[in-house]
Amino acid sequence: MKDALNLSLREVAAALRDRQISPVELTRLSLEQIAADEPRLNAYVCLTADRAMAAAGQAEREINSGQYRGELHGVPVAVKDLYDIAGLPTTCSSRVRHDHQAGENAACVDLLEQAGAVIVGKTHTHEFAYGISTPTTGNPWKSTHIPGGSSGGSGASVAARGCFMALGSDTGGSIRIPAALCGIVGLKPTYGRVSRYGVASLSWSLDHAGPLTRTVADAAVSLAALAGHDPRDPGSMNMPAGDYLAELEQGVKGLRIGIPRNYFFDHLEPGVERHVREAIGRLQSEGATIAEVEIPMAEQIMAVEFGLCMPEASAYHHETLRTRAGLYGEDVRSFLEAGSLIPAVDYIAALRVRSRMQAAWRRMFEGLDAVVAPTVPAVATRRDQPAIEWADGTVEPVTPAFVRLSAPANVTGLPSVAVPCGFSESGLPTSFQIIGHPFQEARILRIARAYERMTDWTTRVPR
Amino acid sequence: MPQPRVSDADLLIAAARLADLPMTPERAAQLVPAMNGVLQLLDALNQGALQETAPAFAFRAGWEAPA
Repeated sequence: MKDALNLSLREVAAALRDRQISPVELTRLSLEQIAADEPRLNAYVCLTADRAMAAAGQAEREINSGQYRGELHGVPVAVKDLYDIAGLPTTCSSRVRHDHQAGENAACVDLLEQAGAVIVGKTHTHEFAYGISTPTTGNPWKSTHIPGGSSGGSGASVAARGCFMALGSDTGGSIRIPAALCGIVGLKPTYGRVSRYGVASLSWSLDHAGPLTRTVADAAVSLAALAGHDPRDPGSMNMPAGDYLAELEQGVKGLRIGIPRNYFFDHLEPGVERHVREAIGRLQSEGATIAEVEIPMAEQIMAVEFGLCMPEASAYHHETLRTRAGLYGEDVRSFLEAGSLIPAVDYIAALRVRSRMQAAWRRMFEGLDAVVAPTVPAVATRRDQPAIEWADGTVEPVTPAFVRLSAPANVTGLPSVAVPCGFSESGLPTSFQIIGHPFQEARILRIARAYERMTDWTTRVPR
Repeated sequence: MPQPRVSDADLLIAAARLADLPMTPERAAQLVPAMNGVLQLLDALNQGALQETAPAFAFRAGWEAPA
């Protein structure tokens, strides 16, 4: 029965539907696994055991009486502690929020509950999602190393089999970076595809909500539950959700995939580059056509990312930075202070350059189904490691190093999925990402699945 | 080529006053390297002529009622 935690979300859903596993028993196993791992990982701000057991009991009664709601029904999931759950604090892993209490659910939490999912707890984030290391939490493959971030608790718990899916948010890579460093799948949908209502903001114009899962199909099922229009989110797009499973098993034959010749392969660990190029080779061997592409306006990507994120974050924190500055961590406080001093014309310039970049990427994508590139340039760094030294002697602080390759999909709003593609000699996961056309999540998931079914990375367990 | 922008503690204290942000001299001195890094990064935004490019604001003028 304990092996149930090693099943994928879709596999365990089938077992729940067929009553081979009870939601109550599965939730108990999930909570026990989390409790066993917490001394090492500290992935959770809080567990919601009583609520979870009550939800599991309700799921069990419903399934037993033939009221099966779908593939999330009775499945233990977790929520990044940036999402509101009514009656619980949304701490954002910050002392600033020590007295917070959410009045209502975030839109995604409502959708998960409507789907019958069992929320087992709230996972740690880098403070207010403003960073990539999630210093509270250990990497399940090597707890002396970072899990990535900002959705580090979500990444760690999904990889460690504490839950089958966890919600994350992604402003500069915060779903895909922890997915990459923890060896799981992370899906950042198109900007506006999933509602951010009730999610504490880092940057309104760059924030995305989405799932972290162990398999590509699990990400597709999760997106199907989360996607949709929500007028309460000003960025939400009023267009119907796609069928994210329909083309999942169709393979890559006949698809045309762009491989960047610039930007994405600059300053990479050799092992990461080797694994990503091997993955590209496998897609090619399955029938995909590979074409080299030039990433446009590459030298301005990080300027747009930080030129938008920093002033918006400082605006969000305007009051608390003036009343509770001492309660922020030093790194986040410095970011917020610096962002407060950026001239408005720089912010507007970032918005204008973003418009040009969007148009340039649209032209680059002509004739392509997707672009494949590394998700991150390195495997997980040590928790006390401030920077990465590259082979040419360049020293790059870890935050820009890890954000550099994920930021393009935030700036352009394009969907991107991070997929595991191997392990380094030190036993840490590597990952590539597939970036697609706006609202064509089904296509990038299809490419991801075509690769995944040729490998066994998603079955490896960090013990 | 325009000169890269650089800050110093006095400039940050003055800017912080305009932003109504409390800033001690010690705090300002601590922030200078980070601020210079940010300004240097943002200088890249002025590399190309933006001409008539409008910013991509998310605001929409419709009056659809929140759910």
